[in-house]
Amino acid sequence: MIKIKHEGCILCVGCSSVCPTNAIEVVGTRMQHFPERCINCGLCVKICPANVITMCKDAEKKADIQK
Amino acid sequence: MDYDVIVIGGGPAGATFSRIAAQGGMNVLIVDKRKELGVPVRCGEGLGVGEVIRQDLDLPRACYSTPIDGAKVIAPNGKSIVWANDDTKGWVLERKIFDKWLCELAVDKGAHVKTYTRALEILKDGNGKPAGVKVSHGGRDPYEIRAPLIVSAEGMESLMARQMGFKTVHSLYDVDTCYQYEMKPYNHENLIELYFGNSMAPRGYVWIFPKCDKKANVGIGIGGNVVNGKKNGGIDGAAPKPLLDEFIKNNEQLKDASTLLDFGGVISVGAPLNEFVKDSCMVIGTAAKQVDPIHGGGIGLAMETGVIAAKVAIKAHEKKDYSKDSLYEYEKIWRSEPGKICSQRLLLRKVLEKVSDDDLNHIFNQISQPDLQQIMDGNFAPSVAKVLVGRPQLLGILSALRS
Repeated sequence: MIKIKHEGCILCVGCSSVCPTNAIEVVGTRMQHFPERCINCGLCVKICPANVITMCKDAEKKADIQK
Repeated sequence: MDYDVIVIGGGPAGATFSRIAAQGGMNVLIVDKRKELGVPVRCGEGLGVGEVIRQDLDLPRACYSTPIDGAKVIAPNGKSIVWANDDTKGWVLERKIFDKWLCELAVDKGAHVKTYTRALEILKDGNGKPAGVKVSHGGRDPYEIRAPLIVSAEGMESLMARQMGFKTVHSLYDVDTCYQYEMKPYNHENLIELYFGNSMAPRGYVWIFPKCDKKANVGIGIGGNVVNGKKNGGIDGAAPKPLLDEFIKNNEQLKDASTLLDFGGVISVGAPLNEFVKDSCMVIGTAAKQVDPIHGGGIGLAMETGVIAAKVAIKAHEKKDYSKDSLYEYEKIWRSEPGKICSQRLLLRKVLEKVSDDDLNHIFNQISQPDLQQIMDGNFAPSVAKVLVGRPQLLGILSALRS
């Protein structure tokens, strides 16, 4: 799974543009990740110019969503 | 039907399309997801004079920060070539104001614009053809707008174009990831500066775009396939921000300058989509990957495309025939005119990314301003011949340019 650190995000939508499964979209004024569509390919992690997307364990992701 | 055409995205492509289409008698609606047109800026903001002159537009002073005369390209060893003539003149824009102005021109011709209105879903008719868009204003309850023609001018994101069946997903090889600061003070010569070097900016370059009052956009773009990590042939630690910081630290003028704005983005530097039209829909501008593969610039191209596509849309509207065959004329014209230049530039990009820093220094030593002009015009042969003198081993890499 991936985790987005929203504070540093510059909303460039680079992650959306490389995501093969439309698993990241802008919702309102921030990027939202849709884990059910994500295939863990990591392209968004590589491409992010602000380095705010990281790979994480599924359990960590769940904790992040519940926050 | 509520409108004759719905345009998704109010950037340079969408706004230009809408202006021409409205002028031609179509009832046009632009929906843009942003609260404020042109924001956030994700771009170096350079634009050549060409398209503004061809479209007979009178660019208001507020739309640009500074006029520019041309470009200066700088080799890894510091040798530079200035490329400045009547055709290279242009502006570094204020995109916030420029984008809004382009939309206002469309409104003046009768188009409608709705900001903060996100396209959520493409509505289909009984035959599966696009027939409208489901939108939401500011996250409120979605509602439906219907039109016989949908134009995607969405830029990099292009999610609606994907829903209409276009393959707009980018591969890492076909994008550059960029980071940019607006900085001050920087004394410039009204030239765009482009610094090349594989260690400084792997498969990309550093740019300094002058702005008014001693400001400058200082940015870096590096190839998506070499970024962040060794996997898939990438370079460890190659990320745009740290590399840009390194460049600034080593630049006499910039090392003590302040940053006024941070921004970044991902730009398309690959080939255009394999199709631009289907029944009842068109894709224009960056959404169709219509971007110069050398510098990633897309504003002028988007405006040019907007005109080509709108003229075809007007004909389709008059015939009441929005089939793929009827709209295909746009794709045909595009591929035979701007598309030709784009594919030459793509070829050049693919060759340049194989050249080492040392070879790049040699190339810069051999060519001069007129050669650079020929290269940008797509006439590679004379420069290739010059470069091969003294370094025939480059033949293998450069032979791709001789066809």
